[in-house]
Amino acid sequence: MGKSFRLIIAVVVTCVVAAGGLAVTYLATKDRIAEQVRLAEENSLKTVLPDAVEFVDAGPDILEAAQTAADDVDCSAVYRAVSADGTLIGWGLRVAGRGYGGPIELVLGLDSTGKVTGVTILTMSETPGLGTKVQSEEWFLEQFKELPEGFDSADMKELDTISGSTKSSRGVRNGVEAGGRIYTDVLSDLSGGE
Amino acid sequence: MGEWIKTFKQGLSIENPLTVLMIGLCATLAVSTQVQGALFMGLAVIFVLTMSNAIISAFRKLIPNEVRIPIFIVIIASFVTIVDLTMKAFMPGIYQFLGIWIPLIVVNCAILGRAEAYAYHNKVGLAIADGLGMGVGYWLVIVALAFIRELLGTGKIVMFDATLIGLPSGYAPPGLVLLFPGAFFIFGFMIAITRALGERAEKRRKAVTS
Repeated sequence: MGKSFRLIIAVVVTCVVAAGGLAVTYLATKDRIAEQVRLAEENSLKTVLPDAVEFVDAGPDILEAAQTAADDVDCSAVYRAVSADGTLIGWGLRVAGRGYGGPIELVLGLDSTGKVTGVTILTMSETPGLGTKVQSEEWFLEQFKELPEGFDSADMKELDTISGSTKSSRGVRNGVEAGGRIYTDVLSDLSGGE
Repeated sequence: MGEWIKTFKQGLSIENPLTVLMIGLCATLAVSTQVQGALFMGLAVIFVLTMSNAIISAFRKLIPNEVRIPIFIVIIASFVTIVDLTMKAFMPGIYQFLGIWIPLIVVNCAILGRAEAYAYHNKVGLAIADGLGMGVGYWLVIVALAFIRELLGTGKIVMFDATLIGLPSGYAPPGLVLLFPGAFFIFGFMIAITRALGERAEKRRKAVTS
């Protein structure tokens, strides 16, 4: 009894002290990390929609509708991309399709006709050197720009997959496809003009 | 003090974690494709190794033998998480390159190995010397390996967006150098060279004494 009690105390004390130290580090770095994540997202949005000068959060109603349209793909942000003279030139979406190692978070740019202007990967936990090819093989993300306006799953089947990274490729593809559904169901009516 | 320096030097030379003990190779081969990344990977290892060695040595009499491994892991994992969060907050670019390899320092056998083989049986001062020596030894080798691989594999050395050294543009970098087989080949040569140097030093010492 006395012996095992000592063992338990040793482990418990170590864990409590370690948890305390980590809590302090977490609190100290939390804001900086959130800021870095925000910067990374802003940079991604600028990459996929280079003509826009400002990205305005589209609000909870649109986000909710977008999530319904995205179905099993997670849609966590919708931005209006606004040009210098204040007109709406497109949409920025943050969607996450299921890859091999977890969700692949994408920033997807759509112009006001629903054509893909660019795709970048924000975060992923795919196998380094294998699943991460969806990012390092540049043609893969570029090919989504070839999709027609109002693309659907039939158009997606025309695209190439990276051999050896089938699930990762599918994760990205599902994310983009969900972006297409979001546009058709929600954003096309809001895009104005045509 | 003499013993302190001797312990420190051992990590650099005759007990170098990479070229002699050959522990913690997995992450080394993976991240040594870029000097900049390797530099920070090495620094992270120095920090974790020295801190965990110091803490484990300081509390070695209080850590019961039966549960020492879980306690070591908790201590090591805490320092790794501190590095992980700090890098994420202040160096996102480098963190993105190192990615999973930073959290994986937890299971890097160089660190648990030193905790078990050295820090648990020695005084704090010496444990710190061992941690620093092993860490710096690791750092030197990983940076040297990354230097060779980046230079031969991409034809140039890039650090903080500035090209430091560039090979002539006629050089076509073989992709193999950046892949794992290339890492093994180059690492093999590095081991051979350090062995040869060690043997030569040994011979000279014998010649002097006899």
